[in-house]
Amino acid sequence: MSVSKVVIVRGKGVLPRKGEVDSKILSRMYDRGVRLLTGQNDIKEGLRSIFSPSDRVGIKVNTIAAPELTTPPDVSLPFARLLAAIGIPEKNIVVWDRTNRELKEAKYRLNIGGSSFQIMGTDTAGAGYPDEPLIHLSIGSLFSTIQSSLITASVSFAILKDHGMAGITAGMKNYFGVIHNPNKYHDDSCNPFVAELFDTSPIKGKHRLTILDALVVQYHRGPSYHARWAETCETLIFSTDPVAADSTGWQIVEKLRKEKSLPSLEEDKRLPLYIRTAERMGLGKANPADIQVIEEAV
Amino acid sequence: MNRRHFFRRAAGAGVVLGTDLGPTLRDLYAFGQKANLSHVEARYYKSLPDREIECELCPRRCKLGDKERGYCGVRENDGGTYYTLVYGKACAMHVDPIEKKPFFHVLPGTNALSIATAGCNVNCKFCQNWEISQVRPEQVDHFDLPPADIAETASTYRCPSIAYTYSEPTVFYEYMYDTAVLARRKGVKSVVVSGGHINPEPLAALIKVVDAIKIDLKAFNQDFYKNYVRGDLQPVLEAIRLIARSKIWLEIVYLVIPTLNDAPEETRKMSQWIQKEIGPDVPVHFTQFHPMYLIKNLPPTPVSTLEKLRKIALQEGLHYVYMGNIPGHEGENTFCPKCRKILIQRNGFEIETNALEGGKCPNCQNPVPGIWA
Repeated sequence: MSVSKVVIVRGKGVLPRKGEVDSKILSRMYDRGVRLLTGQNDIKEGLRSIFSPSDRVGIKVNTIAAPELTTPPDVSLPFARLLAAIGIPEKNIVVWDRTNRELKEAKYRLNIGGSSFQIMGTDTAGAGYPDEPLIHLSIGSLFSTIQSSLITASVSFAILKDHGMAGITAGMKNYFGVIHNPNKYHDDSCNPFVAELFDTSPIKGKHRLTILDALVVQYHRGPSYHARWAETCETLIFSTDPVAADSTGWQIVEKLRKEKSLPSLEEDKRLPLYIRTAERMGLGKANPADIQVIEEAV
Repeated sequence: MNRRHFFRRAAGAGVVLGTDLGPTLRDLYAFGQKANLSHVEARYYKSLPDREIECELCPRRCKLGDKERGYCGVRENDGGTYYTLVYGKACAMHVDPIEKKPFFHVLPGTNALSIATAGCNVNCKFCQNWEISQVRPEQVDHFDLPPADIAETASTYRCPSIAYTYSEPTVFYEYMYDTAVLARRKGVKSVVVSGGHINPEPLAALIKVVDAIKIDLKAFNQDFYKNYVRGDLQPVLEAIRLIARSKIWLEIVYLVIPTLNDAPEETRKMSQWIQKEIGPDVPVHFTQFHPMYLIKNLPPTPVSTLEKLRKIALQEGLHYVYMGNIPGHEGENTFCPKCRKILIQRNGFEIETNALEGGKCPNCQNPVPGIWA
């Protein structure tokens, strides 16, 4: 039976001070993470095994809890540059989220058109949502045209954090930002909605890579930022298996909670059951026994 | 979306079938705003530790962290204070016949100034107005329309009532409440079209300032509510009870969807419950479903089904049982339950004859309950 690979890379010192990123350490984290994940000796070769120069790549970041708990441009744009380095034109790489307001709060400088990276929210004029919902299992939503039309390959660059309703939020739930009505899918611990949303063609058909931003992990009282329960972990997690990535993220949150003498998510009645649902749907591996976790420090 | 697109889109959603307000009124308001949300503190919530809140407006009781929105999508926790984002931010305003709501026992033949904001606290898969109810306020054009302007506009357009409708008024509770208070001072009535997912405390307060509420009872079984509404039946029944025990007028609408909620036995049980808990005089409308939103694989409700369910409700002793969305059908008419004389003859939203005299049957003097003047 095949196993899914998840790479956890710790970059001690990547966040030297609040709001600052050490770009050299970050670069080493990407290099190590992609090479270990793909088994290639060179990061470019590794990325070429996932993406093609003809792809239009969407990097879906999560800026809802900006500015404290978000993936800032200092972290996401260096990854975009790595994609450009394998021959994907910068103009074909879109760093995006739901709204321009949230992106700006996360310190992104919007850019639409031209030859450099596209940075935009779904509410950008010309983007938006279609007129008719896409219906799939329990999902009935309008999908951002960035995800459904503009891009051909997708990276979920998600913040790893505790979530009061879902248990945790990570790579798959990040795609709630694709649809117009995520508020309608928080019942029953977001289960099965997270999995069934991922199973839609605009997402499953384009998803190539999950990167979990665990540089700072909100291990309790998420998804909002609370300094008291935010741990600086200086970690990035890589996987091409979206379920294995989230399952591994879940274990990290549980470990932090245990270290801090907090109840487990099960004891808190907040198990992220959507991860197991996703496994049952064949979207990836959730059982730690089926996941090869490689941990490295740079 | 520009103004023209907004109207075209709204027309597609079936929300501008009433009188076009014309360019004069439209120009009074700045259409085309999306990010201009209100920041008015919500009235029914409690603060929790760590900047969390619990909404107490509807039975969902959303517990939300900082910057999170409720299921309705129009209320947001900002730093531990809960705000409504749609106060004074109407996304639809039209002059409609009150029969369109439908209210059949409230000021027949008059117009209601009908308003809505974005948002809803359930997610009916058959929603007829999903383009405004199932979106966030940023996703639909809206315009600034303070409560005082609504009351004034109702007077200007000779509307004796304001209807809070199209989406779900519970989610714009504060806006509706304040408008109703101001409208009453001007002699304008307020009528509410709701799914009934509202907690007893805010409902009791609302009852004091409005004149009539129509509840969309989506089915009479919990499974349907769970699977097709994303809500619960019991709180709706509690809301109906509370309204029925108050002094304001109540009507009930039941949208009949083929194979999903059209079982005769279910209608019989519902009719028995209404008869027992509320009495025979509450008007009940069985209305025709049309494929929409997430249910497009079912045909419109056959007229024969509506006739069958209406017959069951009448057999169970309900006095005023109507059929909706079937213009010209006799099931649109009001009959005297005592002598069977036609009292109000309707054709769609038009009143063809109204024989009521002082709220009584002119033939047998049987009083017919409702708001007639």
